Amino acid sequence: MTVQNKIYSSLAKETQICARCGYCRSVCPVYRSVGWESASPRGKLSLARQIFALKDQEKMSDEYVHRVSQCTLCGACAQACSTDIDLRRMYLDLRERIAKTGRAPKGYSTLGANLKQHKNITTFDNKERLDWAENADDPERLQPRAGADVCYFVGCVSSFFPQAQENALSVAEIFNAADVDYTSLGGEEWCCGFPFLGSGLVDDANGFMKHNVERIKAMKIHTLVASCPSCRHVWLHDYAPFLEDYQLAIYHTTEYFARLIQEGKLKLAEMEAKIAYHDPCDLGRNGGIFDVPRNIIAAIPGVQLVELEHNRMQALCCGGGGNLQSVDAKLAGDIAAMRVEEIKKTGAEIVVSACQQCEQMLSAAVRKAGLKVRVLDISQLILEALG
Amino acid sequence: MKFTTDDKAMDMMTLQSIQEEFGDRATVSPMERELYSRDLGPVPALMVDPLFQTMADLIVRPQTTSEVAMLVRRCAAEGIPITPRAGASTVFFNAVPVRGGVVMDLNSLSGVIALDDTARTVTVRTATVWSDLEAYLNDRGLACKSMPSSAPVATVGGWLCMMGYGIGSLKYGSLIFQVRSMEVVLPDGRVQRLSHTSDPSLDWFAASEGTLGIVTEVELEIRTLTQMKHFLLHIPDNLMAERIISRLLGEKIMPYNMHFSDQYFVRALKDLGLSHASIDAGGLLIVDYEGPAEELSCAGKIIQRLLKEHPSVALMPESLAETEWEERYKSIRIKRGGPAVLGGEMWLPVASLPAYLDDIRKMSKTYGVNLMSYGHIVSPDRATVMTLFFADETQTLRYIINLSLVKKIQDTGYRHGGRPYGVGLWNTPYLGRIYTPRQLKDLRARKRRLDPEDIMNPGKVYGAPFMLNPINFSVGMEAFALVRRVFGKRW
Repeated sequence: MTVQNKIYSSLAKETQICARCGYCRSVCPVYRSVGWESASPRGKLSLARQIFALKDQEKMSDEYVHRVSQCTLCGACAQACSTDIDLRRMYLDLRERIAKTGRAPKGYSTLGANLKQHKNITTFDNKERLDWAENADDPERLQPRAGADVCYFVGCVSSFFPQAQENALSVAEIFNAADVDYTSLGGEEWCCGFPFLGSGLVDDANGFMKHNVERIKAMKIHTLVASCPSCRHVWLHDYAPFLEDYQLAIYHTTEYFARLIQEGKLKLAEMEAKIAYHDPCDLGRNGGIFDVPRNIIAAIPGVQLVELEHNRMQALCCGGGGNLQSVDAKLAGDIAAMRVEEIKKTGAEIVVSACQQCEQMLSAAVRKAGLKVRVLDISQLILEALG
Repeated sequence: MKFTTDDKAMDMMTLQSIQEEFGDRATVSPMERELYSRDLGPVPALMVDPLFQTMADLIVRPQTTSEVAMLVRRCAAEGIPITPRAGASTVFFNAVPVRGGVVMDLNSLSGVIALDDTARTVTVRTATVWSDLEAYLNDRGLACKSMPSSAPVATVGGWLCMMGYGIGSLKYGSLIFQVRSMEVVLPDGRVQRLSHTSDPSLDWFAASEGTLGIVTEVELEIRTLTQMKHFLLHIPDNLMAERIISRLLGEKIMPYNMHFSDQYFVRALKDLGLSHASIDAGGLLIVDYEGPAEELSCAGKIIQRLLKEHPSVALMPESLAETEWEERYKSIRIKRGGPAVLGGEMWLPVASLPAYLDDIRKMSKTYGVNLMSYGHIVSPDRATVMTLFFADETQTLRYIINLSLVKKIQDTGYRHGGRPYGVGLWNTPYLGRIYTPRQLKDLRARKRRLDPEDIMNPGKVYGAPFMLNPINFSVGMEAFALVRRVFGKRW
């Protein structure tokens, strides 16, 4: 049973169904790093039962609130769960309940305030969303335009973070190379809403989702391509009530690029390199896409694709998910360091991911470890292979 | 154990100094201590809190054998109880303190220390999780000889200190027979390397449940990773099932694993959408073989011959057999039908299986409860059988009364030569069934010799506390069973 098929009926019921077997424990990157039972999914769930199902509010200590925020939402626990509980959804539910009590971690408040003020996770004005495009070959193509075949949903990190902007540029260049008729929402692209959901602020997330859907509808866009797996995940799973019957095909860039390669619109040149692929949690385990990025990498002549010790459904998280950085940046870094140990063992010269957040986390961890490995987003790799 | 004020003050000083020494690897956090005061056993707090001090005073996470030894010495000097804990995936409070003290979380002691490909042995630290070890070995063309059915969380040291029977035991025997040597911290803090011929022998530690010392390293035999073949048989009745099992056990190729589920268990899974197998009667038997190609080919012929001789036995699709194997660690998923399940695990003669299952059916009718059974054949003559039923912990009174049915399941097993599997705290009322008086005397002598102060996981294995002594326990449970029989048929 995949993560997508896991079950979440209600907090009260699922916390009773939990067998406390602990299968979730050894796969949890937070538990592996922190080491205490309270950091394990079964520990958090066990306390959730007392606090929220049995209404013992006294047990909701600051320590517990912190533990609930110490989760990357990677879904490894849900995948391992012997009773098929969708623990990822449970964490989101817990964070929503905690937010309603007004006891959410300070990091979430800061993040939420930024989002409300700027419509993105940074402190930059949202009008600057397309500033990165000034370095593109044809910046005009990204200006919002109704009726384009494809809308590139850039995402906050790729829009504003200098390193990740390289990914956005690569995506644009690949679209240009394949002569795709594409556009973007420009300054009207608001955060996808996932950081709000991860902070338990569901109403705020809904407001952002509603806005983005309205823009998509107004521009008569019927194909949306996201380079951020979490944006794609939210668009696929949480936007449905706002999209209603509106026909919108939602793809991750890897899916779209794979089609362009198959159609012969992108020709990949030879590249001698040993490449390891890191599965982003929201694309792989939580999104069901494992082979597509691997097939793209393997399609580059001369490339030797190697697997990390934990891969595909069992892949280790990079530490960058679930708003963890906003509450415990050290823990996020420790988790990334565990992944870097696996990268080191492969002897790969390049590690490729398909997520700007993974790329950022792994780049920092690789630098910290003093490892001579290039960390690339798959769009950057494809662009290099296009020559 | 009673403390004087001076004793307590001394204990507190010792615990405080341990906490300071271990820094962020020691905690007195009430939240943390509460989580370490339970295992999988769904026993209501109402029945636990008045009787036992399950909250540890301090939890410590040592990282090395020398840290474990130092901790044991410090606790031994003050008579502070120590409860070793790793996966905590048992149900009898085996790794839960009942007299407070220190819980030693051993999970940091994990990982492979050495692999000897030629001798086919691996040396691991005690809290290495079985499925992690299997993945490590599989990457190198090797495999564990046997694994517990809770391999994704159970640790090497933990399973060793239980009885160590599970998947693969049928072909390779109990874990203790695969252990070449081990390192243990004895209750006085000495670190000793044990073998089958040392004094004490490592055999003493099998099923000792952490009461004789803390295992810190284990050297165990492994095997070459081979191909497998899985067969799923539908057998129309219990008598036939026993005949088929015995027949397979008598063949020259021993299955790696045999697992059976009765129709009630299969149906419950099916109703929950968790099984594709559908049967109206009898049960399912999955037979797994591993070995070289010629052995697997021979196994295939054995099954074909058996099917020819027993036309009422049906071979289910190969894909179902493979799914059963893939989900071998997930029997507990039945809990989704609960939300709780209660039950008893039995160590039962294979020959008694039909009679046991027939009696369980009668019990189902008597108490109006749907009893479901599954189990593993773990040796040529023994099976571990789990019989369970759905319950609801939120209905506390009904739930407590329902606990009497667990004893009734145990009684049914006992009538057929069975006994509980594992002791811990909650099976101490059955000590007289689990061990002969002679065996119990020997076990107690070992305990007295190695742990005269009774600091190592006290309150487990060797004797029942007052409320759980067999007479009190029987009287209480019989009364509940009567109430259950009269009023509980529609629960």
